[in-house]
Order: sequence, then C-alpha cells, then structure tokens
Amino acid sequence: MTASTTQPQPAAKRSLWDSIVSGLDRIGFTPLGALLILLLAISPYLPVFRQEHYIRWLIMGAFLAAQAVAFDFTAGYINVVNFGFAAIVGLGAYTSAILSNNSPVIIIQTGISPWISMFAGAAVAGLVGLGLGVLTLRLRGIYAAVMAWFVGLALLGLARNLVPITRGPLGMSPEPLFESASNRPYFYVILVMMLVTYITLKLVVKSPVGLAFKAIGQNYEAARASGINPTFYRVLNFTLSCAFAGWLGGFYAHYYGSLTPATVMVTAKTVEVLAIAYIGGRGSLWGGMVVAFPFVLVIEQLRSNMTELPGLQLVLYGALMIVMMIYYPGGIAGIYYSIKAWLQQRRAPKPAVPSAG
Amino acid sequence: MQAKSAPTAVPKRNTRAFVSKYKSAIIVMIGCFILAVILAMKAGPSSLFNTLVTGGMWALLAVGLSLVFGVMNVANFAHGESFMVGAFIGYFVFTPISKYLKRSPNEFLSLIAPFLGIIVAALVGLVLGYLLERLLFRPLRGRGKSGWVMNTFLVTVGLSFVMINGTTLLLGPNFRGVPRYWSIPPIEMFGIRIAVERLVAFGLAMLTIFALWLFLQKSRTGRAIRAVSQDETGAQLVGINLNNIYSLTFALSTATAAMAGACLLFMFQAYPTVGLKPLYFAWYVVMLVGLGNIAGAIIGGFIVALLQTATQQFFGISWEDVIPTFIMVLVLIVAPSGIFGSEVKGVQEQ
Repeated sequence: MTASTTQPQPAAKRSLWDSIVSGLDRIGFTPLGALLILLLAISPYLPVFRQEHYIRWLIMGAFLAAQAVAFDFTAGYINVVNFGFAAIVGLGAYTSAILSNNSPVIIIQTGISPWISMFAGAAVAGLVGLGLGVLTLRLRGIYAAVMAWFVGLALLGLARNLVPITRGPLGMSPEPLFESASNRPYFYVILVMMLVTYITLKLVVKSPVGLAFKAIGQNYEAARASGINPTFYRVLNFTLSCAFAGWLGGFYAHYYGSLTPATVMVTAKTVEVLAIAYIGGRGSLWGGMVVAFPFVLVIEQLRSNMTELPGLQLVLYGALMIVMMIYYPGGIAGIYYSIKAWLQQRRAPKPAVPSAG
Repeated sequence: MQAKSAPTAVPKRNTRAFVSKYKSAIIVMIGCFILAVILAMKAGPSSLFNTLVTGGMWALLAVGLSLVFGVMNVANFAHGESFMVGAFIGYFVFTPISKYLKRSPNEFLSLIAPFLGIIVAALVGLVLGYLLERLLFRPLRGRGKSGWVMNTFLVTVGLSFVMINGTTLLLGPNFRGVPRYWSIPPIEMFGIRIAVERLVAFGLAMLTIFALWLFLQKSRTGRAIRAVSQDETGAQLVGINLNNIYSLTFALSTATAAMAGACLLFMFQAYPTVGLKPLYFAWYVVMLVGLGNIAGAIIGGFIVALLQTATQQFFGISWEDVIPTFIMVLVLIVAPSGIFGSEVKGVQEQ
C-alpha cells in the first residue's frame, strides 16, 4: 500500500499533474485507467463505434465489468466465492421489475418509477446478501461456495415457480428506463453505475475495512486472534457486494425489457462473471473491468460472424479461464503488477531496495 | 479431523457415544422413514420403487464425487458432464445396433445391446477421466497446494462450461433419446408394474457400488487409494505413486458417472445440459452426508431421492429441485459438515 500520506513535505512544490495523479489514485485509478474510461465515455461518438450494435456491446461489457467488480469484492478479498451471484443479480432485477410493473399480467401493480425501483432491488438483494453472509459464516472455502450456490438455486426455483408475481418461465417485460429506443442514454447510465460500483468498493477496500477483509481472507483464525471481528466484516462484505449486484440487475431488467429465470439467474451466468473476474485477476477489482470490454467485443464478433458455430465463444470463455487458472492464476492484473515491479526494479538506482507489492 | 483413528476402532458397545455423534443422522433417518410411509400410503408403492431407482443413481454419482473429493480434494463441478458424455455414448452405440436389428432381428444381440452401450460408455469415461486428470490437475498440482480446493473447483467449473458448450457446438442442442432399451413388457412384482430398464438401472448401480467397495477394501490398489485419502505423505513414504493413484481415482469417478448416464438414457435422453440435474442432486447428496464420506453417500442418495419424489408428489414436478435445495440449506446451517460428518482432512482450513 503506497497510498499512505505520511510525507507531506513535497506538497508545496506539487505540480498540477501530480495532484491529478494523486487525486485519481485516491479513487483507485491510474492515469492510464482514467484515460481508458474517458475513451470509453466518448466512444459512442467515435466514427467506428457510432452504430447501435456497437453501443449495445459496450453496454453488455459495462454490465459484465460492473458485475465482475462486485463479484471480486467478495472472491478476491474475503476469499469466499459467491457461487449464487447471478441469482442475486436476478433477484435485484425481479424486485425492480415487479415494483415498477403496472400492467395487469401479474398481481402486483405498484408502478413505481424504474429509477427508484432499481434501488429497491439493490436493497432487497443487499438484505438477502446479509442473510447469505450470516448463513455462510460458519463455512469456509468450498462449503461456503456450495452454500451460496444452493441459495442461488433456491432463488432461481422461486423465480420459476412463483408464477403469480414473476410469470414463471414465461418471463416478464419490465418498463424501460427511457422512452427513446436509442442505446446511448443506457450506455451512460451503466457507465456511471459501473464507475460508482468500482469507486465505492475501491474506497472500501483501500480503507482499514479492506485490510480487515484481506486479513480474514488470508487467514481466518489469525485475523480473529488479532482482534478482527470476522462475523461483522464477512456479513458487511456480502451485503455490499450483493446490494451492488441487485442494483446492476435492476439496470439489466429495465434495459433489455425481458426477464426470464433462464437468462439471468442460472449458474452459467455466474460462471461468466467469475471467468471475467478471474481472468482479470482476483483481488484487483479493476482487472475484470479491463477484461470485460475487449472480451465482449471479441465474443460478439465471433457470435455474429460464425453463426454456423453456435457456442464457440462460450467454449473459448471456459478454455481461457481454465488456462488462466492453471498457468497464470494472477490474471491480467497479476501480469500488470509483475511488469510494473520489473520496470521499477530496472529504474531503481540501487538494487538493494525491496519492491513492495 | 476427529476421524484420526480408523472408524472400525470405535467400540460397538458404546451406544451413547454413537448416538451423540450421529444425532442429526438419526433424526434425518427417522424423518425419512416417516416420509416414506406417508408417500407409500398416498401415492402407492410404485413411487417408493421409483425412489429406489433414482436413489441408486444419485448414490452412484455421489460416490464418484465423494471418492474424488476424499482422495484428491477436488470438488468436481464437471461430474454431470461425465454423465452427459455417458448418455451420448450410450445413444451412439445403442442406436446403430437397434437400427441393424430392425433389418436382421437377433434375439441375443437385442438383449445385450444396451449393456454394450453402457460398457462402452464406462470405458470412454475411464479414458476421459484419465486424460482430464493428466491435462488439468497434474499441471495445477505442480504449482503447489495453496488454495488447491478452490482452484480445482473453479477449473472444473470452467471444464463444465467448455464441455457443455463444446457438445452444443459439435452435436447441436437437440435431444437424442431412446424410449426404451428392451421390448420386454414390464414385470409384475409385489403388485406393481416395474419397467425392466428401471430394474436393470437399479441393479447395475448397486452392483457397481458394491464392486467399487470391494475394490477399495480388498485389492492392493484400492488400499493404496484409501491410504492416499488418509495421509498423502505417509502413502508416499511407503512407495505409493501419487500420480497414478490420482489418475486412477478420477478415471473411476468419471467412468461411474458415464455409466450412470448410459443407464438412464431412457429416462433423461442425451443433450448438452443433461448433466446439470444429476450434478445438482449428487451435490445435494454429498453435502447432506459430508464431503468425502463414501459410505454415507450411498444412504444419502436414497434420502435425496425420497425428498425429490415426495416433493414431486405433494408440490408438483416444478418444485422438484426447489424444496430439496431449501432443505439442504437448512442441513448446512445445522450440520455444516454433513449429517455423517466429513472425513476429509484439512479442507475446512482452505
């Protein structure tokens, strides 16, 4: 952690650039990362990307990226794989869709604005996350993952079977966020949501709370012995991660306008997010964001150009994840950090300085 | 952890210790017995027989899952895909033969054709398991033991994804099935009509579990497998080749799953995602009885099947996997390491 501010003496001579860099660093961005986000933000107006389907892909990328960030917040820090993640996303989506519904196809017709119901979805998902955190408290590693998976399957089953309020496998058609059919406003909404997710979670992770998360994730007993209350931090982590997942689910519902249990809540969707988060590099938060966009672009290119080979992109997905897991578990973030360490070592005048990772 | 001493060393007279150790197991068994009686009264004895058939199959799958977890500490999420491969192999072996039989009837061949499919499926499963172990787990093992359980679990998650979508890519998403294996009319037994396929499936499941048990208990290699599952370093010290044991264990596990897939082809058909449901139920079983507990997995298979049949009877088929899931969540809360206890060393810490 090099972000400590123990040496205030160069503050007087600080140039504009330095203050920008330190400001960005405080919210978890490098100048390069901020530049990429800026590029992303203007890309719907760039000549090559100025087409609706490109913007749609960018939206999918941002949605996946934000999910990967929320997923990594649990998997990469407290070291519990939330294998029911997609079901939590779906829970948020369904809550939001049901609360904003005003058509007579289901029995609840509250008709709240989708902008508000999205937050209600986040609240419900956060509440379930709290419950999930409590449920998995006594469990470690694989047991916790399987427990989360079972809870996810139970939620999926409920969505499928509570036909009066979810229409079951038929699916719902939630209210759209915007009147216009253009994808551009949606893109900016999900971009902001992604940034809010990332910055909030990064701030949490950089605070002492984040250190407690890491301590619990690395050695549960040692963390407890040194005075960290693992119960509190694990539940907090689950609640936050699931609340963001539910919020993102709300966006999904009101963007795609169609919601079925099989397209949102199945385990395969968790695997997609998991693959992105792990290829990006666990415990980095930003790795998933970096990977998601190129990945979605490549995959959608494959899907639209090779219609005679359906599912090829998903095979590549899984294969890349396996290879990453076996041969480079640090992911993209790990590669970045080792390159950075190597450059620092070369730049350093004295080889005696140990590089802090 | 508490099972440092061999299970046989527990004195049989000590009933109180036994009861307190298996308290939750006894409660669950009594509950299941009552449930079975209610089910038999309400839906007739044929539903109990169906429970036995599915229970046998879940037990077979769960034993494979448990074996791999006990010996290799791999929580195999791709177990259902071995089932899927078995179903496809069964289909692709059986269908040409039955087409040939239509042109030139041959009583003997028509009798053994399904068994051919099942045997070929098991052999293919054996080879598949060996290859997967060599290609995936051996390189991963070379990287050290830290985070092994979680890493291998995620690798098998990726593997499941690749196998499901790879099969869709190769063969398409369509269903391939055979309505029945034999054209023999159902057998009358205890006043209920039983399809021959179900009887054979149940018999084969029991036979395979028994053979596996015999192999693990009596043969030299089986003892080596158990030695590895109890103490890896000790096993290595007495000259057991760990790599071979791992390959063999994984191959055996995939072979039994593939066999189950071929056995149940008439019930499930063959399609890329056919393995998901068996996978869920096998996981329910192993979480119910405790990961790595092989003997418990056999009983657990029947308990889960009973729950499943009862849910179908009382709530309808769409609740089939919802209610058992809720019950499993409850079980995990009350007895996190299963009702019979997990016998795997050091997994809690990872």
